[in-house]
Amino acid sequence: MSFLLKCPNCGERSVYEFRFGGEIRKRPAPGAGHDAFLHYALYKRNVAGDQWEWWYHRGGCGEWFKANRNTLTNEVRQTLLPTDEAQPG
Amino acid sequence: MEPILFTWNGNEVAAQPGDTVASALYRSGLRTFTYSYQHGRPRGLLCLTGSCPNCMVNVDGVPNVRGCTLPVRSGLSVLSQNQNVYRGFDSPAVKRFPAAPPLSESPHHYEHTYFQFDVVVVGGGPGGLEAALESASQGVQVAILEMEGALSGPASLAQKIQSHPEITTFLNCTCFGVYEGNLLGAVQINHAAPNTETLLHLRAGRVVVATGAYETQYLFAGNDLPGVMLSTAVLRLIHRHGIVPGKRAVLIGEAEPRAQFQAKLESAGVEVVGSVPIESVVRAEGADHVTGLVTDTVTYEADLVVMCGPLVSDVGLVASARGQAVSLAGAAVGEGITQRDYLLPQSAQSANAIACLCMDVTGQDVVETIAAGMGHVELIKRFTKLGKSACQGRMCQTAAIRLCSQITGQTLAQVGTTVARPPAPPVTLGALAGMRHHPVRRTPMHYQHERLGAVWMDMGEWKRPRYYGKGTPDDCVKEEYRAVRERAGVIDVSTLGKIEVKGPDAGRLLDLVFTHEFSTLPIGRIRYCVLCDELGTIVDDGTISRMDQQRYFVTTTTGNVDYVHQWLEWWTTAAGWKVTVSNLTAGLASMNLAGPLARSVLQKLTDCDLSSAAFPYMDWRQAFVAGVPATMMRIGFVGEMGWEIMVPAESGNHLWEQVLHAGAAVDLRPFGVEAQRVLRLEKKHIIVGVDTDALSNPYEAGMAWVAKLNKADFIGKVALSRLKQTPLDRMLVGFEIDGAAAPPDGSPVLVEDKPVGWATSVRYSWQKEKVIGMAWVTPAQAKGGSRITLRSDAVDYPAQVVEEVFYDPAGDRLKM
Repeated sequence: MSFLLKCPNCGERSVYEFRFGGEIRKRPAPGAGHDAFLHYALYKRNVAGDQWEWWYHRGGCGEWFKANRNTLTNEVRQTLLPTDEAQPG
Repeated sequence: MEPILFTWNGNEVAAQPGDTVASALYRSGLRTFTYSYQHGRPRGLLCLTGSCPNCMVNVDGVPNVRGCTLPVRSGLSVLSQNQNVYRGFDSPAVKRFPAAPPLSESPHHYEHTYFQFDVVVVGGGPGGLEAALESASQGVQVAILEMEGALSGPASLAQKIQSHPEITTFLNCTCFGVYEGNLLGAVQINHAAPNTETLLHLRAGRVVVATGAYETQYLFAGNDLPGVMLSTAVLRLIHRHGIVPGKRAVLIGEAEPRAQFQAKLESAGVEVVGSVPIESVVRAEGADHVTGLVTDTVTYEADLVVMCGPLVSDVGLVASARGQAVSLAGAAVGEGITQRDYLLPQSAQSANAIACLCMDVTGQDVVETIAAGMGHVELIKRFTKLGKSACQGRMCQTAAIRLCSQITGQTLAQVGTTVARPPAPPVTLGALAGMRHHPVRRTPMHYQHERLGAVWMDMGEWKRPRYYGKGTPDDCVKEEYRAVRERAGVIDVSTLGKIEVKGPDAGRLLDLVFTHEFSTLPIGRIRYCVLCDELGTIVDDGTISRMDQQRYFVTTTTGNVDYVHQWLEWWTTAAGWKVTVSNLTAGLASMNLAGPLARSVLQKLTDCDLSSAAFPYMDWRQAFVAGVPATMMRIGFVGEMGWEIMVPAESGNHLWEQVLHAGAAVDLRPFGVEAQRVLRLEKKHIIVGVDTDALSNPYEAGMAWVAKLNKADFIGKVALSRLKQTPLDRMLVGFEIDGAAAPPDGSPVLVEDKPVGWATSVRYSWQKEKVIGMAWVTPAQAKGGSRITLRSDAVDYPAQVVEEVFYDPAGDRLKM
């Protein structure tokens, strides 16, 4: 694994500068119950294709940001700051 | 000029300037360089280009060095390889070299370096040089990786390259793979002693593969005899090394290359007695060297059989660079393995025709494998091991694919090639593992500890004093322990994580992330904190102090500070809250001053009222200490009255000196991590990651009180609510061992000879005058007085469970 990732602040860098934060998913509401939380904690969608993910630029600016990556080819199509207006649907 | 002398299996050999190890040995008369892996067949020089496995030797303790790629120098100790493997498949008359030495630690040095270029050209031949010049003329940075010791191609071109400011040339540098994001892995070998293998990580805007073409061998009976050589090897011996490798030669191959080669050979003074197409070859004859070639019509007497073998373009790098944009230049653009068609003779199917030199796979093996139903090249490779070793299929694939095509009736394209994966040429594990630079972190008081005679231990990147002094570890630790329990001690805790959390949503964030409630914590107070994940597993612990309405100070364990910092940042970011999280660990020095006389020591250094009435347990104050602005936190990991004092990192040295000076009157001692471990164990204070593992929850760790389930929400709340109602599988308990000996941490715990858990921490307690510890056991053993047995190295340590805290159960000494 040696692909490049474009940090919204710092630009294109080696993936070794980043920490992977997993698929972007919504935490259940506090009252959602045990099964919903178990599912949230343990079951990943594990998409074979494009997905939105969290990445953290630990060797750089220290920003958590969102990246759209193809899990088969490791092509990173888009990266966004969490405060950017256009957010993944 | 000084003669070049080296040794071969202990015997001195003289070499000429320009010789490689292989050419020098050949010059000295050596013809059999090794014996084959499985059948013990004699093997001699074949390719001389680093493509085949035949001249692999052990050089100065490094195995599998290709003798034809290593320039010889005086003093090398070269040993033969592969002398021990004999499995009875062939004639027992084969002579053996002395046994190879056992593998030892590699004498090579290994390094990693990193580069970035606009264009990287792999291959320094004519095609590569032209491609490099063309790119460089556009004003971009170009690198050339050449596996041999010099660029080849027209001299004028090579000169231009060497003087070109935009072109960097790496010689003796083999590229083994092109990876995602156009990252090239290459190993550059420095042949001068001490041998250094440097792993280059090259990031390229564009990759040009100009690895040229290589000659491959033909498949016929006896094709692996010493004296049967590829035309490239013969030409290199003649032109590079001035060695004429035979008197009478037979040539095998297609008409045109044979005719061209015959002229070159004759001009070197070799008599060409025969020149035949491959289809007509029956066998090469000879015992340990070729003596002739038998065709279907003629028998030639010869001491050299030259294969003008098919040239195939070397595209291993391209094939293995899956998905990466790589362009080709030079001869690498030529015909591939599946494009060169020719007919193999009948004898290619014999047990005496070697398809794979590395693994001793014969033509017959391939035939039988196909007959058994494994006609796919991938299956042939997996079943026979053909192409799975040092030469990575370079010598065997072309012939094997042809054989497969002829037997199965498929076209070459239908047979296809096996999937190529990096490394394309082999690379040593040492180069990959290599030496990397690891940062070392030292606390602001590091050199004070050094002066005090600290014995160091590594904690992640940090160096921490384990204990101080020159005595036995037990004596030193006992002295430090006694100082803390009876007088006063001070420990450097600068490595503990320190994080500031501030902003309008700071309290809300901490309420969500930690199991306790912190938005209601009064300013000036401190609370123990536990961080769980969504499954209720303990991830970290520490303290949280409320500094003011919107500002908190979080401490974490030494190893987890980055994790906790990123965790807090992530929840803030994901929720869109207004919180700033800053890791202040490196900016602050901190030390813990503890013991019954700690107050009198600290009071000498500050005007702050330290009495319990004014500064109670679990409070913090900010004041000048030894003239430095400090934050003092009254907490007690070691179980005595104590203060954690934090000052700016640059004042750490000063404060440490002042504390030691102020404590001299009561014989205060600096103490290390080992004494701290005993002190806290007597208090049953857990260390996350030592006493807990990746599955521990607060209930089984005996800390049910940390889970504030009446809070609206926090990470892990749902799981912990469920866990609270579920019977426990195991519990963390204290124990005392009957005898005086202590088994190591991690020893299994048994009941009636059956394992029920394991001991997390075991230490001698000077307080109890017994060996004490903590262990995971099943709930059946959790009651005080239950008998358990620890076992280590077949020695049993009978023990009993103790429910009560070993030292000061009421915690009175913390609040004095």
